Amino acid sequence: MSIDIENLTVTYGQEKVISGLTLNIPEGCFFTLLGPSGCGKTTLLRTIAGFIPAAGGAIRFSGQDVTKLPPHRRAIGMVFQDYALFPDKTVNQNVAYGLRARGETGAAAARKVAQALERVALGHLGDRHPAALSGGQRQRVALARAMVIKPAVLLMDEPLSNLDAKLRIQIRETIAELQREANITTVFVTHDQEEALAMSDLIGVLNRGAVEQLGSPQAIYARPRTGYVADFVGSANRFVARLTPAQGGLIEADLGPVRLFATDAREGAVCAEGLLVIRPENLHLSRAPRVGMQNLPARVRSRQYLGSRTSYRLDIGGDLNLVADAHGPGHDGFMPGDQVNVAVDPAQAQVIAA
Amino acid sequence: MTGSLRSPWFWLSLAALALLGLFVLYPLANILSASVIGPGESGWRRLLASPKYLEAIRNTLVLATSVTCIATLIGVPLAYVTARYSFPGKGLIALLPLITLVIPEVIAAQTWLMMLGNNGLITRFLRDFGIRLPSFYGWFGLITSMSFIYYTYVYIGVVAAIGKFDAQLEEAAQSLGTAPVMSRLRVMLPVILPAILASALLVFTMAVGNFAISMILSHRLPLLSVVTYQAAVAEGARDITMQSTLASVSVLIVMAVLFLNRRIVKRGRYEIVQGRGARPRPLRGLRGLAVAASAGLVVVISLLPLISIMLGAFTASRGPVMQWGTWTLDNMLRVFVTAPQPMVNSLLYAGTATVISTGFSAVVSYLVVKKPNLLTPFVDYIAAIPLALSGTVLGVGLLATFHGGWLPLSGTASIIVLAYVVRRMPFGMRNGQATLQNIPNSLEEASISLGVPPVQSFFRVVLPVMLPAIASAAILTWTTTVAELSASILVYSGGRETLPIQVFRLIDSGLMAYASAYGLVLVAVILLPIIVASKVFRIDVFSSR
Repeated sequence: MSIDIENLTVTYGQEKVISGLTLNIPEGCFFTLLGPSGCGKTTLLRTIAGFIPAAGGAIRFSGQDVTKLPPHRRAIGMVFQDYALFPDKTVNQNVAYGLRARGETGAAAARKVAQALERVALGHLGDRHPAALSGGQRQRVALARAMVIKPAVLLMDEPLSNLDAKLRIQIRETIAELQREANITTVFVTHDQEEALAMSDLIGVLNRGAVEQLGSPQAIYARPRTGYVADFVGSANRFVARLTPAQGGLIEADLGPVRLFATDAREGAVCAEGLLVIRPENLHLSRAPRVGMQNLPARVRSRQYLGSRTSYRLDIGGDLNLVADAHGPGHDGFMPGDQVNVAVDPAQAQVIAA
Repeated sequence: MTGSLRSPWFWLSLAALALLGLFVLYPLANILSASVIGPGESGWRRLLASPKYLEAIRNTLVLATSVTCIATLIGVPLAYVTARYSFPGKGLIALLPLITLVIPEVIAAQTWLMMLGNNGLITRFLRDFGIRLPSFYGWFGLITSMSFIYYTYVYIGVVAAIGKFDAQLEEAAQSLGTAPVMSRLRVMLPVILPAILASALLVFTMAVGNFAISMILSHRLPLLSVVTYQAAVAEGARDITMQSTLASVSVLIVMAVLFLNRRIVKRGRYEIVQGRGARPRPLRGLRGLAVAASAGLVVVISLLPLISIMLGAFTASRGPVMQWGTWTLDNMLRVFVTAPQPMVNSLLYAGTATVISTGFSAVVSYLVVKKPNLLTPFVDYIAAIPLALSGTVLGVGLLATFHGGWLPLSGTASIIVLAYVVRRMPFGMRNGQATLQNIPNSLEEASISLGVPPVQSFFRVVLPVMLPAIASAAILTWTTTVAELSASILVYSGGRETLPIQVFRLIDSGLMAYASAYGLVLVAVILLPIIVASKVFRIDVFSSR
């Protein structure tokens, strides 16, 4: 089932939280709403669910208008941040709850419950109460409970944020697997960019109630369209630069103390100033200049050893400094005070509209 | 916000508001207006012209002030010692809240009389040695007995405050170079002072509103609640001017106190950012013994009523004269066989009131916490008003409002139940709101998202989670309702005596043995649900206090 949101407006009292948002989520898509807290992502999800009324516009599930439909009649499955398991009911009763509401009881329903729990590898814990489960197990029960009713759309509100890092990755895989198996249109809300990149078919980066950029994980990461997206998804060196067109589709960015060639990603907007964006892993450190790259002299100011990589803060003259991540053998070979060479491929440095 | 007219919650709020308006606001408005425009001469003019009434107001204020001071002086040190030290017999002090809850004031007053009255055990014992105690009727008895009942409220409030006090603050003060005793005074006192003042003011209002002890022990000393009751009994519902005026005076006093309380709370609220309570330190040797002995004494005095009604219930008597040492079952026989009506009435009225009050407060707390709309703030506010009304004031209001007219309830059992419900419902509300605030909204939304409509979701998901808290609220309501005297004694009619009313009337007639027997049954009726709940269902009845 596809979700089509057209010109949606949501208000809290006088304040417009979302105004005139339009968004199409194709059938079977794993769609992630990504943004910091307060950007309106949870509000949008709860409006799709029907818990928050739309002040204007329309929401359609495969063409059918659900804008005025109360949440219990929208055929949604929802997974909550705090799991929201019914504490007085066993795992089996929790999962069977939605089936019972649909008039499904008896052996057939019990079989569905058992299957759903088997899917999340909890078949053996059906008789326990939620209090006797670990956080990860609770989240899997919540997932089984939402999936067993075969909802038209699956809505998840930061379902992984209460779990520790290792468990988060595990459950991430479970969710992705279940979603693809059932081919169910899913809206996933998170503030964790890694989660979004790892799981989604399509990401919408939200800023103040509006979609700032919509695209595949690769597109969002490799070609951020605004400074906000570049900064929020992954980390990025950002500089305001004066621009001069150069040959080969490149553009020359003047940062003051240094000049760099970069790819023009301004999408038609022509202006004298822009934002130069370079990901830390696209800055290559060496002792000597490299052939075929543009090279900058720099001095190591400080470093953080992070195991699989080392993150360096470099002075490149003036007040400018860069963060560069070194990977591979010998990535921790540079010390504070060292003079180093930074190599940048113009294809990996981008200029976007400021 | 569910402000829509189509939402069932809006109509439910409207119904709750209508009920509260009819049974809380309307009687209160009746009292206040009758004092000015009631039949006959203006009540306020009569009040100012009467030396008896003016003396009653003065006495009440003096009494409440002295009781507040003494209760605070007992309660605060006891709270500090139990919160910070461990000593032999400390477990006994944990019984304190239970004692205040379990022993109705009328019985406490009775037992003080049985010990220290003109014919009391201790009085007679001391008289044999030629020691004559001052008469227990009047100031001596009033102040002693009220102080030894109300100090528990100070104790409970202050123990909670010290428990929340972050011991690291004290350690910080010491690390900055203040000596322990000074750091305690400088750092802890300002933080727990609001709790001390708040509980002291609570004691003050309770002493002003106190009926049972005042009535039994005041003798010829005029007190506000006593003269109000007498005016109400003498005038009935025919002339409501004077009783309304006197009731209005109590309302004004309590309002002034509440106003003061708000200011104190507003000014004195410090936020404890991160609390870590101190571990109690053991007290050994002579100091430990001294502390244990004085704490033990306080508890034993509090327990005295229980012991003496147990003795009294099985002691033979001829009229008002107790024949100590001669045992009999006659008194109990009277309670269960010859005149069981008060017991039956109590069970029936308090049971009905508990069901109504618990149900109403559960629904209303749900509306206030989970479904706020335009009306719910008013519902919340009005539902808390009875907290500020003494039982006597409430009784006068109900009597003035529902005698004759379009809703003639007086003379029926329903007005007694109504008095119970109105008086105790705010406690249930407070309890219910605290519970609901701890139940996340997502639980209900999860149920709705699985296809269950909102109202059914409440019954299937929220209600079961609330149930243990509702059960403990019901038990608390039961214990306080079955002991209710001051409002019900104004609105009851012949044949509808409850256990506390019966005990009160028997004490009034000097029949202490019978009074003890009915009192013992009353205490048993109060205790039984608490014991069953905590032993069988493992419900912590006192968790919300």
